[in-house]
Amino acid sequence: MKQRITYLLREPDELRTEHLEVTGKSLIINNLKAAKEHRLTLSLSELPNEVSEVLRQCHELHIRWASQDPYTSIPPFVSRVSPGLHAFFTPRNNSKADSLCPWLKKIFHPEFKCESPRETFISLPILSERFSMSSALQYHQLLPTLSRLVSYIKSEFCSRHDSTCQEHASRLLSASYIDMDYNAISHALVINALWNEAPDGSSWHDRIERTRDDETIEVGILSNETPEEPEELKLGGFLVVVGDDDTPKATRFSFPSRHYPLPLSISTTYRTTFKRPTGLHPVMQLTLPRASLQPPSKARCSLHTYLTLPSALFIDKYAFSDALTLRSLNLAALRTVYGETDLEAPDWVIPKFGSAALFELATPSLASQSTSLSTTRGTAVKDTDIWTVEIPLHLRYLPPTSGGYTPLAVPWPVVFWACTADEGTRMVVNPFDRVNLGYDGLFGDRTMFYHVPPSPGNGTWTGREAEGRLVETLQVPVLDLRQAWYVEWGTVVAVVVGTAWVCWKLWRGGRMGEGPRLREGRGGRGSSAHKSLALHGF
Amino acid sequence: MARFFSSPSLVFTSAISLRAVLLVYGLVQDAYSPMKYTDIDYYVFTDAARYISRGRSPYMRDTYRYTPLLAWLIYPTTWGGRWFAFGKVLFASGDIIAGWLILLILRSSKKMPTERASKFASIWLLNPMVAQISTRGSSEGLLGVIVTALLWALLQRRIRLAGFLLGFGVHFKIYPFIYAASIVWWLDGEDREATAQAKGQPQDSLLSRFRSFCNADRVVLAVYSFLTFMVLNTIMYKFYGWPFVQNSFLHHLTRIDHRHNFSPYNILLYLSASPGTHSSLRLESLAFLPQIFLSAVAIPLTLGKKDLASTMLAQTFAFVTFNKVCTSQYFLWYLVFLPFYLPDSTLLHRPSTGLTALILWVVGQALWLQQGYQLEFLGRSTFLPGLWTASIIFFLINIWILGAIVSDVAHRDRPRNVAAVPKKVI
Repeated sequence: MKQRITYLLREPDELRTEHLEVTGKSLIINNLKAAKEHRLTLSLSELPNEVSEVLRQCHELHIRWASQDPYTSIPPFVSRVSPGLHAFFTPRNNSKADSLCPWLKKIFHPEFKCESPRETFISLPILSERFSMSSALQYHQLLPTLSRLVSYIKSEFCSRHDSTCQEHASRLLSASYIDMDYNAISHALVINALWNEAPDGSSWHDRIERTRDDETIEVGILSNETPEEPEELKLGGFLVVVGDDDTPKATRFSFPSRHYPLPLSISTTYRTTFKRPTGLHPVMQLTLPRASLQPPSKARCSLHTYLTLPSALFIDKYAFSDALTLRSLNLAALRTVYGETDLEAPDWVIPKFGSAALFELATPSLASQSTSLSTTRGTAVKDTDIWTVEIPLHLRYLPPTSGGYTPLAVPWPVVFWACTADEGTRMVVNPFDRVNLGYDGLFGDRTMFYHVPPSPGNGTWTGREAEGRLVETLQVPVLDLRQAWYVEWGTVVAVVVGTAWVCWKLWRGGRMGEGPRLREGRGGRGSSAHKSLALHGF
Repeated sequence: MARFFSSPSLVFTSAISLRAVLLVYGLVQDAYSPMKYTDIDYYVFTDAARYISRGRSPYMRDTYRYTPLLAWLIYPTTWGGRWFAFGKVLFASGDIIAGWLILLILRSSKKMPTERASKFASIWLLNPMVAQISTRGSSEGLLGVIVTALLWALLQRRIRLAGFLLGFGVHFKIYPFIYAASIVWWLDGEDREATAQAKGQPQDSLLSRFRSFCNADRVVLAVYSFLTFMVLNTIMYKFYGWPFVQNSFLHHLTRIDHRHNFSPYNILLYLSASPGTHSSLRLESLAFLPQIFLSAVAIPLTLGKKDLASTMLAQTFAFVTFNKVCTSQYFLWYLVFLPFYLPDSTLLHRPSTGLTALILWVVGQALWLQQGYQLEFLGRSTFLPGLWTASIIFFLINIWILGAIVSDVAHRDRPRNVAAVPKKVI
């Protein structure tokens, strides 16, 4: 087992010697205000049988869970995914991987929509077969809490009397995000948890101890410094290898990074809402302050949003081909949508979890350039401080309920600038590199992401209260089962009465219609009998 | 007014201008507004045509549920630029030709003076709903021209042409199969029956009755329609394979999208298809019974010999009214027959009845649309009782109108002129 623990101080000057105590085989952290990343590397043999069996069916498996509570990120931990549980997965050759879904249900939530990877997961679009760095399949479910995972770890990993292990597991409940990565080449499971701050906003009091000689624990207490190169991050502080080092060793290093925060000059947040009333065609709105929408880098940059949608909602890809429509929504293009995109089916026949989509957003400068050529009437109304992007979605029919409405939780999308990095940048040397987030595989390997953090309202530019989560809830109208008792017989009565009425009219009219014919004697009685016989025959 | 209708060229100029104006208006709105005049289906057709132009299958386009022929017909839309409107021009021309055929039929077979015929043809030609549907790019106008041409061919006793059109129509949109029953019944060749009787052959022998039923016209119609239908299917299947069968036929029989529509079965289907609700009888699987019984059996057999055009109207009306899915485009299917039925109808001769029927038909839709709007745009759960009640009320209104139509047609005497028309085929 290998552990790497990184504390990242938001205020570099705050680090004082009393925060750190190195004693023999342990390191004590006192009263440290910082974000914390805890990384555990476990080989297959160190895992319970159940887990290693699941992993043996995987070529690669990347699990990403993000809290639905907003958090403030700090470099290098700035990359984001939509709240909930994501899995990116490539099965081992010819493996059905039938144990993955039961395991996910067991450790995360028993009510997950998960039949098997083949049925429930969606295929990621392949950009280039040769250089493909992303997994084959993708999965997502909303998951507000990791309580089941915590009890699973407590019962399967920790021995009953190991209170440290139990406590560490419980701490996952307050994590901002958790990653689990496995691939068949390394045969190791890497679990990575990030807390943007100590639980309850206090500070860290940790005792990190090496209990076995064969384990290594590396601890870094670092803070951000100004990098020399624009496409790099620089960290400085102290490193301790617990049990080996007697004193913290000063360190300073820089590395190229895939993920960046926005430059301070254009630092901002976005908010996700739905246009009310939502109806059966909800319109997702992303709002950002107009002034902050400047490219974060000198490289070629464009603003994007990446949506992960449950199967009850879908995107009509054909609705984003018209330039005028796109402009009216402040969108530049629908780059890709994949997964369950059937335009008609009700939700209960959809086997997949849902879909994912990448949109390029228009930015004010771009829009004003293009609208200056035509009418400016449409944009005049929007010419305020806020830039609103609209993404029209559509609801599937959901199963009837008693009450006539079903709540549907929709995770906020992520918003970021994607910029092309200089040739020659090697992101992999980054010790904090994070890949397999869904959207990163849709861009080239040399793309840099500048992340716009979500904010449910505590941003400075809006008056809304500082509360809320990164999940929106829609009330979807469905058939009200309380009133359904009369539908069946009511419809049947109407149809039977209707059919009988028309038949009566036909029969009566037919008989009276024969009158003149009989009088004429043409065709005669035989023909009329023939006709009514034919009628009754059917 | 009288002068206007006495000159067909004026009527047609107006009909063409109406469509031209709507077409241009549509182009302008599409070019300057994100709210498109063009129907969503038109984008489906043109996308499918684009796939065809690249040597791909039109079924690569989601929700393309038609024969590949339709995409081929509008192939020029793939040439770009102004050609994009080609399909709309084609559909609108279909409208005009259908209107011209209506006029022709009214004048020749119904022996109607031009002015009166123009008036009734205008129900189709100058109908803003018809003009709008085709200029927005919906293909229903093509169905209009196919079925009026079918009727015209029959009344002209061009049986081979009629057989071809029937087969083509069924290939194109399935539902015209109901006309087979009325046409076969109508092609009874009573003159020959009379000859047989004169020769003293026993009328009641089953074999002779079967023989006299299988007269030349019926055989020719059956052979031509079946051949056309099967040849087209075989060609399409050869080139486009199973997706053709799936999308253009099976989809319509097994569709599971129950998005709200005018059909009386709509809510029942939503309820019975959804998981966790246990319908006691699965009655919805029998829904096709009254529909097929009325539109393909009872109505054609009772009315077919009296007035073919009005029978086709009643059949279509019954088919649409009892259909499991019903949207306003389907109303065009029967609207095209209205000019043939209306002249001698109670609806026209007793204006109070006619007006009541029209008002009820419109009010029924308005009621439903109001509920549909609340659901679709305001997100209110109006499935029950609102939408269900509205669709049942609209259904009963349609039943009442259908009842009036069938009893009207049933009371009619068999037209004498049909047998008098020279037979061109045999």
